[in-house]
Amino acid sequence: MKCLLPCNGLDKCAGLVSGQAAVELSQQDDFELICPVLLNQNKSPYEKILAQGDLVVIDGCNTRCASKLAQSLDLKIKDKYNVSDVAKSMDLKLGKDLAVNETTKAVQKALVEKLTQTEDKKEASTFEMTTIDYDSFMEGKFVFKVPKQGFFFNENDCWVYVSGNSARIGVSDYVQQNLSDILYYDPPEIDDEIEQFDDCGSIESGKAVFEIIAPVSGRVTAVNEALQDSPEWINESPYERGWLVEIALTDEVTEDLEILHDGSSYFEYLKKKVAQDV
Amino acid sequence: MAEKKIGVVACSGEECLGGTISRLAVRKIMEKDRPGVTTTLCLPLFIAGDGGEREFAKNYPTISVDGCSKCCAKRAIEKFSAEVSGSIDIEAIIGKELALDAPLSTRNLTEHHQKMVDQVSAEILKIYDSL
Repeated sequence: MKCLLPCNGLDKCAGLVSGQAAVELSQQDDFELICPVLLNQNKSPYEKILAQGDLVVIDGCNTRCASKLAQSLDLKIKDKYNVSDVAKSMDLKLGKDLAVNETTKAVQKALVEKLTQTEDKKEASTFEMTTIDYDSFMEGKFVFKVPKQGFFFNENDCWVYVSGNSARIGVSDYVQQNLSDILYYDPPEIDDEIEQFDDCGSIESGKAVFEIIAPVSGRVTAVNEALQDSPEWINESPYERGWLVEIALTDEVTEDLEILHDGSSYFEYLKKKVAQDV
Repeated sequence: MAEKKIGVVACSGEECLGGTISRLAVRKIMEKDRPGVTTTLCLPLFIAGDGGEREFAKNYPTISVDGCSKCCAKRAIEKFSAEVSGSIDIEAIIGKELALDAPLSTRNLTEHHQKMVDQVSAEILKIYDSL
């Protein structure tokens, strides 16, 4: 069972679409609807269904009111959707006008379809990493760790670890420390073709959303499914258990790696960056 | 009728039909009955604390329109901003049984529902005219 928490906002019509899609889905057996304003006031009417089902958040826009509400109540988000992002992916624009029109209907339909799709079977990861040695430095009360060997970094603080024709991608210790408690990982789709410096998913904390910028080009072969239940692994182990994406590399990998920092170069780069932040 | 801006907060609840009616009545006030004077405040945004909703409700008269007697909108305004200038409880207007019916998709809106929307918006306008 899925428990749907729409933002149901009245600020933009994206909020309207979130609410309407949730109402439509709640007619089906597999979905329960949670009223965000009542939840905010009193969690107890929903405790039973939240204990039995997975929480799916539907935000209207990037203000993410529904996500913030879930986070403020310490509810674990299993999956989330953003109406504005769905509209964007369809090359549609939802304005401020609150009226129902063809655009809102089309986005609502697409959103309902996404939520009712049976999940594709994800390929299991067979990726192997060697034991990692770390360098570290301290700034104030924070310790920043950087792997000594095998990892390459872009200046968006995302790393890549190459093994044969495959690579694993994640975020650096600096990112997880800046974001603080990571609450949600939004992965790319399996088989997505990603160019170097394209977005390949995002991670989100109560503070901000961080877009993952691909350090190398390739095709997505696996995502770290365990992070849906345990996003805190990105905080606890950003270079190991908290990896994000695996890709099959393209022939251009050598050129891609040439413009990245290796471990020692990123270590020096990060020290300067952290010093500037203080 | 007041000349200054008036804020209206619909509960827009998803728990019952009253929430759906609250949203539609507030939209009617904003788009047809009192355009230009009405500022709708988004309750989820109000609760999240982003935007200027809470500040607006501190500085301008604000009316709550709640779908049922739980009065989520009224309580939120009074918790985060100030006393409301007027409040509507739809349950008291259309009756408990109807108000607590299942929430409605706007594509299933009937003439009967539209009459409820008109009834509620008429009550909101009475508050407008008293301000």
